Amino acid sequence: MKTPDQGLHTLAGAYAMDAISAADRARFERHLAGCGECAQEIASLREATARLATATAVPPPPGLKERVMTAAVATRQQPPAEPQLHAAVLPWRTRRGRLLVAAGAAAAVAVGAAVAFGVSNGSMRDQLSQDQASSQQIAAVLTARDATMMTGAVAGGGTVTIVMSGSRHALVFTAADLHALPASRGYELWLIGPAGERPVTMLTSATMAGPVIASGLRPGDHLALTAGPAGGTARPTIPMMLDLAL
Amino acid sequence: MDPAKRADPGVGAGTDLAALIRLVARGDAAAFDAVYDQVAASVFGIARRVIRDPAQSEEVTQDVLLELWRSAAKFDTERGSATAWVMTMAHRRAIDRVRSVQKEADRERRTARADIPYDEVAEAVESNLERERVRRCLGSLTELQRESVTLAYYGGYTYGQVASLLGVPAGTIKTRMRDALIRLRDCLGVTT
Repeated sequence: MKTPDQGLHTLAGAYAMDAISAADRARFERHLAGCGECAQEIASLREATARLATATAVPPPPGLKERVMTAAVATRQQPPAEPQLHAAVLPWRTRRGRLLVAAGAAAAVAVGAAVAFGVSNGSMRDQLSQDQASSQQIAAVLTARDATMMTGAVAGGGTVTIVMSGSRHALVFTAADLHALPASRGYELWLIGPAGERPVTMLTSATMAGPVIASGLRPGDHLALTAGPAGGTARPTIPMMLDLAL
Repeated sequence: MDPAKRADPGVGAGTDLAALIRLVARGDAAAFDAVYDQVAASVFGIARRVIRDPAQSEEVTQDVLLELWRSAAKFDTERGSATAWVMTMAHRRAIDRVRSVQKEADRERRTARADIPYDEVAEAVESNLERERVRRCLGSLTELQRESVTLAYYGGYTYGQVASLLGVPAGTIKTRMRDALIRLRDCLGVTT
């Protein structure tokens, strides 16, 4: 299935030569932030365009060097990016922070509830340790060195943000402002790829869903969001509300 | 594929440009001096080719070099060679200049000057060999590919404008541009 962003891919050549309008440039750069393969292609095309530039070399005007050197001395340099700050987008740090907080809060609520009810029965304890395990998994993905963030718009409204780590074969999913569904229906998250269609989970809330961990990512997987019967389905309900190539 | 080992055909010989830029990031003025010597001719060359007007080209060259000084810490070898980083910055600045507020006036000036073979008279800095290689690789493209690249990269036109100039659908130009750069990349032996 084709995401709206894939049509953008053919812009790679025009983008590498700055042969696009400011609006297209911004759109393509948003796409680039979530597409490692495209960034790689742009980098390689720019090695070619750089040669088109160096082939035009002519001696610069005399006196320019002195002016540049003088101006440089009077110009403050920008600080480097902080280590670990991998994705090219700035809001990343804040979002990662928020996701971590959310993951921690979810675990804390579970612990609090268990304490308040004086829970000692086995299945509840299992559930609780599962929750803790999942928030640890979430933290592991969010802090992975190769973590990359992608966002997608959901048909019918809402946004999905995922943070994916190839080395951990997992992603963390959150959704916000999804269109509310009737009680009989619910949103369901799927992984779909050459390895088959695998349901991840039903979302519990349309307003702020997640963070949810989806592990066992395989090459070629897509992340899909469907709206189907509240009890879940054996196969993804068509049409999908979101289909994100990972 | 190891981008860090990407060949840097470089702008002149001397110390590795990437290493120099890392020194510049720490405020090393001597390294910046050496960077200037390596890149200024190419930065000025592309600015001149795109903008045409010598005074504006000089301003843009100064802007680009100061931008390099300012943002040296942002240079990341994992995202490509140092030459590509500098030339991307230079080309974009030149393009932004020709598309800026003075759009109309500039366009007239550019058209008026378009037939002056300034770069033939100017003393070439880049080795004839390198220039010849780029020319040969441009020559290996189809006519539509070559025209698309030349009008876009040297002429500063958007793909939409190139499409109107050549009377070809914009979608076709978009894909020709990408195909052309891939062919150029392979022909020039750019390793990524």
